[in-house]
Parts: sequence; structure tokens; C-alpha cells
Amino acid sequence: MSSPLVVVAKGGAEHKRWQYVQYLYLAAFVLLVPVVLQPFEIGKMNRALVLSVAILAVNLVVGFNGMLALGHSAFMGVGAFVTASLVQDENWDFWMALPVVVLVGFVLGILVGLPALRVKGLYLALITIAQATVFPTLVNIDELGIAKRTGGPNGKGVSEEVIAPSYLEWLPGVDGARGGSAYRYWCIVLILGITLLLVTNYIRSRPGRAVLAIRDNEAGAAVYGVNLPIVKTVNFAISAGLGSLAGLMWCLDKGFVAGQDFTFLLAVDLIIGLVIGGVGTLQGSLLGGLFVVWVNDLTKRISIPLGLYTLNGDGPLAKAIFGLILILFTFFAPGGIVSLARQVQNRLIKVVPLRPDGTPAEDVDSLDPGMESDRAQSAMKLAIVGPVLLIIGWLLMNVNNLIVGCLAFGLRFSILITAPVAMLVGSNELKALAAGKRPESIKGQAGMARLIGGLGFLFVLLYGLWLFITQYS
Amino acid sequence: MTWNFDILPDFVFNGLSLGAIYGTVALSLVLIFKATTLINFATGELAMIGAFMVYVLHMEQGLWLWLSILIAMIISAGLGALIERTLTRPFDPADHLPVVLITLGLFLIFNALAGDIWNYQVRILSNPFGKFPSWVPGLGGDRFVMVLGSRLKYQSIGIWLTLALALFLLGLILNRTKMGLAFRAVSSNVESARLVGVHTGRTLGFGWAIASAFGTLGAVLVAPQLGGVNPNMMATILIYALAGAALGGLDSLGGAVMGGVLIGLIQAVLVMWLGVVVMGQAYMSILQLAAAFVLILIVLLFRPSGLFGSRRVERV
Amino acid sequence: MSDDVIDEVGLIAKNLHASYGAVEVLRGLDFEVAQGKVSVILGANGAGKTTTLRAICNMCNSSGDVTLGGQDISRLGTAEIVRKGVAHVPQGRGTFPELSVNDNLLVGAYVRKDKEINDDIDRWFEIFPRLAERREQLAGSLSGGEQQMLAVARALMSRPKLLLLDEPSLGLAPLIIEDLFTRFTNLNKETGLTMLVVEQNANLALDMADFGYVIESGEITLSGPADQLKSDPAVQEAYLGA
Repeated sequence: MSSPLVVVAKGGAEHKRWQYVQYLYLAAFVLLVPVVLQPFEIGKMNRALVLSVAILAVNLVVGFNGMLALGHSAFMGVGAFVTASLVQDENWDFWMALPVVVLVGFVLGILVGLPALRVKGLYLALITIAQATVFPTLVNIDELGIAKRTGGPNGKGVSEEVIAPSYLEWLPGVDGARGGSAYRYWCIVLILGITLLLVTNYIRSRPGRAVLAIRDNEAGAAVYGVNLPIVKTVNFAISAGLGSLAGLMWCLDKGFVAGQDFTFLLAVDLIIGLVIGGVGTLQGSLLGGLFVVWVNDLTKRISIPLGLYTLNGDGPLAKAIFGLILILFTFFAPGGIVSLARQVQNRLIKVVPLRPDGTPAEDVDSLDPGMESDRAQSAMKLAIVGPVLLIIGWLLMNVNNLIVGCLAFGLRFSILITAPVAMLVGSNELKALAAGKRPESIKGQAGMARLIGGLGFLFVLLYGLWLFITQYS
Repeated sequence: MTWNFDILPDFVFNGLSLGAIYGTVALSLVLIFKATTLINFATGELAMIGAFMVYVLHMEQGLWLWLSILIAMIISAGLGALIERTLTRPFDPADHLPVVLITLGLFLIFNALAGDIWNYQVRILSNPFGKFPSWVPGLGGDRFVMVLGSRLKYQSIGIWLTLALALFLLGLILNRTKMGLAFRAVSSNVESARLVGVHTGRTLGFGWAIASAFGTLGAVLVAPQLGGVNPNMMATILIYALAGAALGGLDSLGGAVMGGVLIGLIQAVLVMWLGVVVMGQAYMSILQLAAAFVLILIVLLFRPSGLFGSRRVERV
Repeated sequence: MSDDVIDEVGLIAKNLHASYGAVEVLRGLDFEVAQGKVSVILGANGAGKTTTLRAICNMCNSSGDVTLGGQDISRLGTAEIVRKGVAHVPQGRGTFPELSVNDNLLVGAYVRKDKEINDDIDRWFEIFPRLAERREQLAGSLSGGEQQMLAVARALMSRPKLLLLDEPSLGLAPLIIEDLFTRFTNLNKETGLTMLVVEQNANLALDMADFGYVIESGEITLSGPADQLKSDPAVQEAYLGA
């Protein structure tokens, strides 16, 4: 497949269809998680989403501003402890504490950022390393009553349980055994969603574009009137505020905070998640959180049968694998998973941007393979491959092997992509046939592609729906 | 408040020898930074691996201590050059992020490997300067000598002498050899270095090799104070070394050493001694880290290029 | 082929292209510098003069054929090209600011393996007494004119066959520039050193040169013997302030 399977104009009907599919999948994922997973798995997902917010925060500085920030674990820690203190000692509500926590983080960000950002971004790296390393011990100081507030080396538990109020019990998963973690999941998803929205707007706004300009060409940005220290510091402060927010979410989810949770290694985890997800991309931050939690989990499962040493349950193997993956990604996929996914997507679907007057930048039709369309053939093959992989994946599920299990999962997953793509390509080719650009011979193939692809897609939707309904009650 | 000046020299000696070690590691950092403007996060872990090499060679295999140290330094040097050749050279020197990520990855891998192979218990390593050698008149066999009413450990003297010797040798290499000249040229202006025919890749490899050897030396010298070697031994040392390097100015080799020594002194005098004076007990790690952190912040606020660094006009 | 015949050839560049990222800066240049002669490339800012010299030394993304003394140097790395006898004084002097004046000269001879290096250093100190006074000073503390002298001396320490000069007059006071260009002319006359000079200051450059090129937007628009170019009305209007 040297040319993409489908070519669409940005904003065109086909493009919208592809985007609907993506949004549908995202919504299905969000809805199915609390309903299908076991409570402890939901807990892991929660942790991943909390990390995603933290990674998003780091992304603001590293990805969008082009500087190294290695200490967001400290901001998370501050947020977590402030939350714990307010909720446990002062009897505040989590939601009341939210703005306070963000503000505290923001102010801290200014204090730390201001001296560091006046000169080279390199010093920011040093200071953030120092801050991340210092934080766990700061928490244990007896002076100023800090240790009493933070619970010292033993940590602090928050006894207020985050339970769903009665008017929210209709949320999926919030009944029965999964109640607690599912409700917390929804709280976290809500905060994450709003954060994403705000960050997206921030990046598109004027100050956000100043931040990006600094990343791409600092001297040039200054010449254009961007006030470097202020923009950099405010951006860093916003990032710190978000980091604190992640800390609040951590406290909300775990109900327990301890200094040794927020070490330099956590900050490194955040960077790893960011890089592997995709620096400078929003989706990358989300993927990064999932990746960090998932790999940690996986390596734990491998370590024990292999008899490898584990320290505090986090095996050194996880660290080694992270390090190795980090290096590999730096060499082969510097843009992270998001860039890899985009490469795959470009093979399947090419989105042609629009000129200011609304016409496509390249003639969509001219990228057409012409009368002899092998797109329909490829689409049909794809439509058949999808269900076959699905069946193989299901058969492999019974093999009790971790690697085979992952493979089976991947195979089952493949129908998510093959089905809608085949359907779309089939539709496109039939449309081209109707417009007279294809020979009659492709009618059969295109039709089959659309049919089988459509059936596959329908199957996926129905299966998701069935899962939802059966688990919901 | 009991102004206990009697015990002050104790702390000063301690601070100076810790400071010497911070200075050694800071030197390793600045060597690489000067040549490449990169912070090598793997410095500490490479040094730790070097210390473990000494452990294996000397404690397990029974080789002479100083021979083991020498061999470990050579192997570290080779490892450093190898890392430069394979992992950092492929990348555009102007783009910092990839190489920083690689050194981070190495940091994780080395730490994890050491943890897996040797687990996290502290293992005792012979003190290279445990007792005065027998031929020293009057002091042979003692651990310390009384100076100004305080104990000056042979260990401290040994560390200073070793560091001084290493610095002297480094100075010779940098100033009197062709390779050293090439390294200084690359550190000063990499493009012009190419224009005089210097192979910048090899020269950087040379720099990494020396930096790694220095790191190992620092780790071996600090081990006795930490009770031995363990995979997490260099973590805090690296922070102090970074602080020292930043304090002294990241592009000054002499500044790095001075900065490290200063940090050691400040730790010992300001934090520990004042702690004794004011609180009646010596504060260990808790406030030291915080003090280092605050100190860097203050210095950078008022003197962004460090105490001894050159004021390159970088601000826009 | 005997050495003399090879040396006759000098520098020949054919179809030289160069780009920075996606932007193409040089679009197929053809020029040459005859052995023992001085050629000059004139052009405004951004025309591609500096890029031309960098392309010869393979310091940027470039393609095309470059031969020196008959040898193809197009595929060699910068350090290798230098070893073939090319010396390049970059824009802004390119001295080593943290090295002493003496060390700057010493490193200039990096590719040499003979024993006359120190003699050469002494000779340059005789030619430039101002530099001798500042022998142990850091190069970064020298004035613009002194740095230019140092840069030229450093370049010549390698006993090159070809000297590339990138805007040597930039940022220097007029008197110093005159002195500098006189020395360049003497250098060429006395030692027969082949030189390629890139300049904005057309007057002095054309006085010194044997042959000239005018470059605009990455292409050579005019070429000819230097005195011809000097009297060319187009050149006069654009570059000689007539």
C-alpha cells in the first residue's frame, strides 16, 4: 500500500465519518472501563489517568515550551498533601480544595521558575531535579509542625470516602461492587476532561502560541515582542498548578499520601510517559499515563515467576525496561506512540488540508488511482482479514501465556481498525463508481468491502453495547 | 545556643573531604557539559557501576585495592567512550532532548541492573585510606591525627591527596597533550575545531572517558563514608555535585571543583555545625538537601552563570 | 601526473547545491579559483556567500562536485577536507575564546606532524607583534582586529593550499580593514597561496582579487576578471555605491 487507502478533504463528509468513528471509540472506551473492569483494575486505570494529568502538566513545559522539567513529582506531592491536610484536618470537601490546590501549585511554580527561567532552560532542569529529590525529605521535617501535618514517614490517610451522591448513582459502574473506584473514576475523568479542554484552549490562545514560539525559536520570539521571562514563568506556573491538581486526584483516588510516593523516580516516570506517548501532543499525554502503569504492571507479573528482585513491589526490572524503551524510542520513534500511530493512519487515510478559500490544497480526485482501482481490492481483503484476526484472537485467549495473551488482545483489537476503514473505503469507491471514475468491475469488490466492513463495525458496536448492558446492572 | 568552636574543625575537615568528592563528581559533569552543553544524568550511575567493579575485583576476586581501582577506572573510561560513540554521536548536538533522554534511560538501566545483580543491600568496600601506612613516623597504623584539637582522619587526607593528584594529571593532559588541546578546542568552539581538522567525535569520546573515570574515582572515595557500595549510593551525591557545578559555573572546570568543595563546607558548617550549636544535635540529610536546593536558587538569582563561570551573553 | 600539474588546478566547484532544512540556499553554483590566484565572491546579505564556503567544507547539507588540485573532496568530512589543505576563516573570526593566543595558533597546526610548528608560531608573532604582546591572553579578550589577525594566522598555521575567507572586513574599523587587505595581497603575492574571499565590501575585495563572481539568491549572476567587474555598471550600482 504505497498510496493511502482513502483520500479525504479535511472537513469533508468522509473525513467527518472517520472522526465520528474515532469519537465513538473514545466514548465507548470511557463508558466501558468502569463497567467491565474489576475494581482493582479500575484503580489502576485511575492511577493511569492521574498520571496523564501530571504528564500533561509536564508536557506544557517540555513539549510546548521546549525545556526540561524533571521535578513535577514534587508539585504532585504538594497537591496531594495540601489536599490531604485540608480534607482530613480542616474537613473541607475535595471539590472545595481543588481551586486552592491549583493556586498553591501555581504560586510554587512561580517561586521555583522565576530564578531558574531568567537564564538558560538548563538551570530549570537542575532546579527541578533538586526539588524532586528534596521533596520526600522535606515532608518529614519536624519543624513548623510539618511532620505532624503530613503524617511524617508513615504518611497520611484520608478517611473521607469519596462516595457517589444519590443523584449520581446512574453513572455506569457506580452500583454494586465497583461503586467506590468507579465513582472515583468518573470524578477523575471529569477533571481530566475539563483539563484537556482548558489546555487545548490555552495552546490555541495568544499566550499559548507565545509559548510555542519560544520553543521553536527563542531569539526570534523575543524579537517579536514576546516577553520571555514572563511567558516562560507563567507557563511553568500553570504547569505546576496542573501538577498539584494531579496530586489532588492522587489523594482522591488512593485515600493515602506518603512522602516516598513522590520521589525523583516518579518524575522520571512522568518524563518517560511523556516521551513514549509523544512529546508535544495532547493524546500522547493520555497514552503516556496508560503506558507507565501498564508496563509497571506487566513487569511485575513477569518478575515474580522469573524470581527477580522486587523492591517495594516495584521491580528494578520495570526500571530497566523503561530505560531501554526510552532509548529505543529516542532512536527510532522520537515522536512517541502518537507519531507511530499517525504514520499508520497516513497509510490508511490521507487528509488533505484546505486552502483559506475552502478548496482542497491538492486535488482529491487527482490522488485517485484512476479507473483501475486496487483500493477496492485492498479494502475487501482488509474487511475479510478483520474478522479472521478476531476469531484467531479469541481462540488464543485460552492459552495461558502472557505473551500469547497480549498477542490475542492485539488481534482482537485489530478489528476495531480494519472494519471501519474497509467500510469507508468501500463507500468511497462506490461513490467514485457512481461518479463514473471507476470501471463496473470494482462494484463487486467495493460492495463486499463496504458490506463486510460494515458488518464488522456493527459487530464491534453491538458487542460493546452488549458488554455495557450486561455489566451495567 | 552553645557556641561550640572546639568541634568546628571536626566538621570543617569532614566538609572539606566530602566537598572534595562532590568536586570530583562535579568535574565529571562539567567535563561533559563544557564539551557538549549536555547534562549527563547517567554520571552517578556510571560511577556507581565503577565502584561495584572495584567491589567485585577487590572484595570478591582478591586483587589489590588500588589495582582494582585503576582497572575499574579504565573500564569505566572505556564504557564512557562507548556510550558516546554509540548513543550520543548519532544525534544533532544542538538538539538537547534526545541525548538527555538517553542519559536518563541509561540512568534507569544501570540502576536497575545493579539492583538486580547485587540487590539493594549495602556491601562493604575496603577503605583505601583506612589507616596511616606503617612507614609514616609516629602515626603508622592510626586512623587519624589530632589537629587543632580535632580528629583529622587519614581518610580525609587521602581523599584530598588523591583528588589533587588526579586534578594535576588532568591539568597535564588537558594542557600538554594534543588530545587535551583538541578537547579544549572543542569545548570552546566546536565548529572552529572541525575547521582545524579535529575529529570532534573522537575528542568527545575522550572527554566522556575521562569524565567516567573521574566519576568512578569519586564513588570509590565516598564509599567508606556511606558504609559501602549500594545501587542508590550516588543519587544524593549527584545532586550535591550538580549543585556544586551550578554554584561554580557550569563551564568552568576549576569552578566545578571549588563549587563542590564549597557545598561540602556549607553542608558541614552551616547545616551540621550550626545544627549542633542551635539545636544540640547534628542534622543529617534532611536539611542538607534543602539547603543545597535553596543555595542554588539564591546563587542563580544573583549570579546566573555561577561563581566562576564566564558570563556568556545568553539572555535575549 | 607530477605535483606541479595537479597544483595548477586549484579549486573547482560544479553544480553546488546547499540547503538548510527545507530551504534551498545554493542553486547549482559553478565557479573556480585558479591555483595561486585570488577569487572573490560578492553578494548582499542572505545571498549565499557564507553558505558557499561552508558547502565547500561540507559543513552544511550540500551536494555537487568540488575538487581541489584535481582531487574530489565532495564526499569528505570537514576534518578530512581540512587535512587535504583547506583552511577556512569563518564569519565572525571563529577563534577559540577560552584558549590563549598561543594555543589558538598551536591548535591551528593540529593536522601537522612536522617539527617546525613552534618556529611557525614564532614567525607569526614576528609578523603580528600585537599578538605577541598578548601571547598568553585568552583570545576572547582581544579586539576585533586582533582576533582577525589571530584567525588568519591560525588558518595559515596549517600551511594550507587553499585559504577561504568569510567576510574578513565585517565589524572592523576602516584603517584595520585596509591594513588587513594589504596583508592578504602580500600573502598571495609572496607565497602564491590560492585564496577565495567572500565579501560585502566590494571595493577592497575587487582590488585584491584576480577574478570575481557575483551571487544573488543562491545563483551566480555575473563573473569575470576583477577589474572588468569593477567597471561593470551593474556591479557599480549595486555594490560599489556609485
